Amino acid sequence: MSLKPHASVLDDPSADLHDTILSHHLNSTVQCRVLIVDDDDLVRARLAALLRMSNFEVEVAGSGEEALKILSNSPCQIVLTDWQMPDMDGLALCRYVRTACYESYIYVVMLTVRDAKQDVLTGLAAGADDYVFKGTPVEEILARIEIGRRITHVEQSLRTSNRENRRLAITDPLTSAHNLRYLMKNLPKELARCRRYGHPLAILSCDIDDFKQVNDRYGHQAGDLVLQAFVARSTSCLRKTSDWLARIGGDEFVIVLPETTLAGATSVAKKLRRQLAAQPVATNTGMVAFMASVGVTGFEPENVPSGPAAVDELLHTADQNLYASKRGEINGLD
Amino acid sequence: MGSIKHQPRAGISTVDRLAASEKLQELFAVRLQSERVHFVTLSAALARAEESPAGIFDDLTFRAHRLKGAAATFDFANLAAAAGALEQASFAAATSHAAHTDPDVWEALVALVEMLGAFEDTARHESDIDATAHAD
Repeated sequence: MSLKPHASVLDDPSADLHDTILSHHLNSTVQCRVLIVDDDDLVRARLAALLRMSNFEVEVAGSGEEALKILSNSPCQIVLTDWQMPDMDGLALCRYVRTACYESYIYVVMLTVRDAKQDVLTGLAAGADDYVFKGTPVEEILARIEIGRRITHVEQSLRTSNRENRRLAITDPLTSAHNLRYLMKNLPKELARCRRYGHPLAILSCDIDDFKQVNDRYGHQAGDLVLQAFVARSTSCLRKTSDWLARIGGDEFVIVLPETTLAGATSVAKKLRRQLAAQPVATNTGMVAFMASVGVTGFEPENVPSGPAAVDELLHTADQNLYASKRGEINGLD
Repeated sequence: MGSIKHQPRAGISTVDRLAASEKLQELFAVRLQSERVHFVTLSAALARAEESPAGIFDDLTFRAHRLKGAAATFDFANLAAAAGALEQASFAAATSHAAHTDPDVWEALVALVEMLGAFEDTARHESDIDATAHAD
């Protein structure tokens, strides 16, 4: 009888299959953190050594409870857990992970000596994604964990892409301001908040003066720069934590000022117009000076429109004030 | 002025990792010695436990299960199987309230202790060979 264990990747590096699998693992570039959960410190150390050799980041825990603490502090993409452990066992850990809310999906592999068919079914029913017997050749264990790396990577990519799509759906691509969709979704919330807490609300309805002439005279690229400059300068006049701006048409913008009175909004409008007048925009076709008309609409809490048509009513009032501003009845902004 | 002390590069080289793995094998061999002592102690306790062997059957089940997992992880399939046989036998004995002389438990226990003893002998022999080779 020998103390040498059966052949494994570590003992037989010349084997072709082992080389292929190992080199595949060593070439893996996707960062992936595996949490090993086992109450046997030597087993943890052995698995940790194998996984580190395969370019995984490794965390270790001696029980289900310790594992949950680690998961709540540092995200792990894969959990490799034993079944039988004191206190919280692997099954309970699986169930908890499946019901808890983590930033991204956690791929759970149960690695145990319990090899009865019913055990496998119980482990998978508890939420494990894979079930591997202790004693399975190392290269197979690594191959199965590699599946977890692939799946969690795809899941993260999809999550990132969804987040980006959600952002793009409410953002104007040219100016990076919010768009009409964002306005229609969030203005009702602002109205509701305003009514509920008894705060005033103000709206600035803005329109760049003679924008068509800017496009005709300096070109569309220059027009785009003017729109971008409008957003940048407007944003500099707003409170970052509460005010927001949306582009709702070609050269039309709405600025929402929660907890702002008509007097406060008028002051913001004046500041905005000063910012716009401060300096022309440099474009390839020359310096473009521009100005915007601003309609100021303020509501005290008791006058805030309510009901299903509230937003339309509010925007209609804001538009009327904008037209009044264009006609020269401009709330004393000049 | 900055330090001129050698700063090892970040990360662990493959050689270091293999060395760490060998170190783990050594630690596992030490664990096996201690497991053998525990199983011998438990067998002595079982031999005396005429009245209530249930607690010892439970201890045997727990310890055999743990050894089975560790042995399988370190690729000692025969040892894992022997530990698994004891786990099953002692679990069945505890469940069926068997006597402390339960033949299945004793057969599995003796086989496992012998196997652990054989591992110890082999380890000692390999260590002697290493020592001789170094002396040469």
